[in-house]
Amino acid sequence: MNTPELLGFILNDMLWAGLAALGFAILFNVPARLLPACIVCGMVGHLTRELLVSYAHVSLEAATFAGAIVIGVFGSALAHRLHAPAPIFQIAAAITLVPGAFAYRSMLGFIRVTSMTGVSGNAALEEALIFSIRTAVLLGAIAIGIAVPTLLFRRKTLIQD
Amino acid sequence: MNDETHPEKVPLSREALREVNEISLLAGALLMQNGAETARVEETVHRIGTALGANWLDILVSPNAIIVTSSSGDEFRTRLRRVLVLGVNMRVIDEVNSLSRRISAGDVDRHTAKEELTRISHLPAYNRWLIVAMVGLGCAAFSRLFGGDAITFIITFLAASIAMLTRQELSRRAFNPLLITIVTAFVASTVALLMSRLNPVPTATALLSSVLLLIPGVHLINAAQDIIKGHLVTGIVRGFLGAVITACIALGILLAMSLFQQAVL
Repeated sequence: MNTPELLGFILNDMLWAGLAALGFAILFNVPARLLPACIVCGMVGHLTRELLVSYAHVSLEAATFAGAIVIGVFGSALAHRLHAPAPIFQIAAAITLVPGAFAYRSMLGFIRVTSMTGVSGNAALEEALIFSIRTAVLLGAIAIGIAVPTLLFRRKTLIQD
Repeated sequence: MNDETHPEKVPLSREALREVNEISLLAGALLMQNGAETARVEETVHRIGTALGANWLDILVSPNAIIVTSSSGDEFRTRLRRVLVLGVNMRVIDEVNSLSRRISAGDVDRHTAKEELTRISHLPAYNRWLIVAMVGLGCAAFSRLFGGDAITFIITFLAASIAMLTRQELSRRAFNPLLITIVTAFVASTVALLMSRLNPVPTATALLSSVLLLIPGVHLINAAQDIIKGHLVTGIVRGFLGAVITACIALGILLAMSLFQQAVL
């Protein structure tokens, strides 16, 4: 890969991931002073995943897990600096990792199964099952990935900030 | 729980303990109905109550109610509060969090704490048109992340904005939240489908990006967090709620597709 191409890839991805995180942060009524942190979390998380998928050829599931861990770590760090609860940054950012296309294709598969006549729909059933399993695994990877810093570094404290 | 016992804490009077219990309970309910995970609710209630003079608080968070018992000396008080709406408002969570920090630093007394909580529960949201525009832009940004072009971007922006407006109007009229989800998903996919008929572009990206505003991300993530931290009941309920909402989104899309005879991929 050459450097300008990679740089373009990174900037493009960060622009749209940041905008997506901002949109959802506004929807969740995140206070204005915390919006930049939400954008940063969304950018780094999504960029991590895309770089891993496109350039390191990691599976989407593993890359999403890595992206979610990055969001979890950045969210916790920013929470300390800004004295605000970490989920505020993490949730808006995590939405950028949601596997919309997979959820959609599993649904399409289910539609095809229910509108079938006869019992010759193995392909439709396969599609529905494969994509719903992948969607579920991806959602689990996001949720667990975000929790990783909490699980590792806040084992004993009762009080959270 | 790592709270040390404070032998020097003066036992509160029955009246004072009632106030402490009320304040902690209200703070917990505010957190719960605005999208905080169960562990955060318990920690904050405990921190506020002990900082205001109680020796110990026991908190039970059930999926649609919260019960708090505060003890001080030989006295204890208990109250249950129903939490019927599980919404998302990060500003309330932020403000309750900073209030609980100020209370534990000893800067806020019972009277002020009560006033602050009343203020927090009436905090305004962003201007509704700003929300409509930003949610539209956010979903449109997703269409780019999914590989859409400029036309898809515009279609998604319009579909998601109109869907968000629909959702606001229906919420204001207090319809059932699941019904709102179905109708909003239907509106979003109808707009996306019809507009991409005018422009011969691949529709799937616009369609699936414009319903993203309905994704129950907070419920799903809180469900996982609750289950990981051992709050199984609330975790399972939130996960199920997230799944039901997702199914409602699918239903809305299905209705639009079958109505307009267009299965897209």
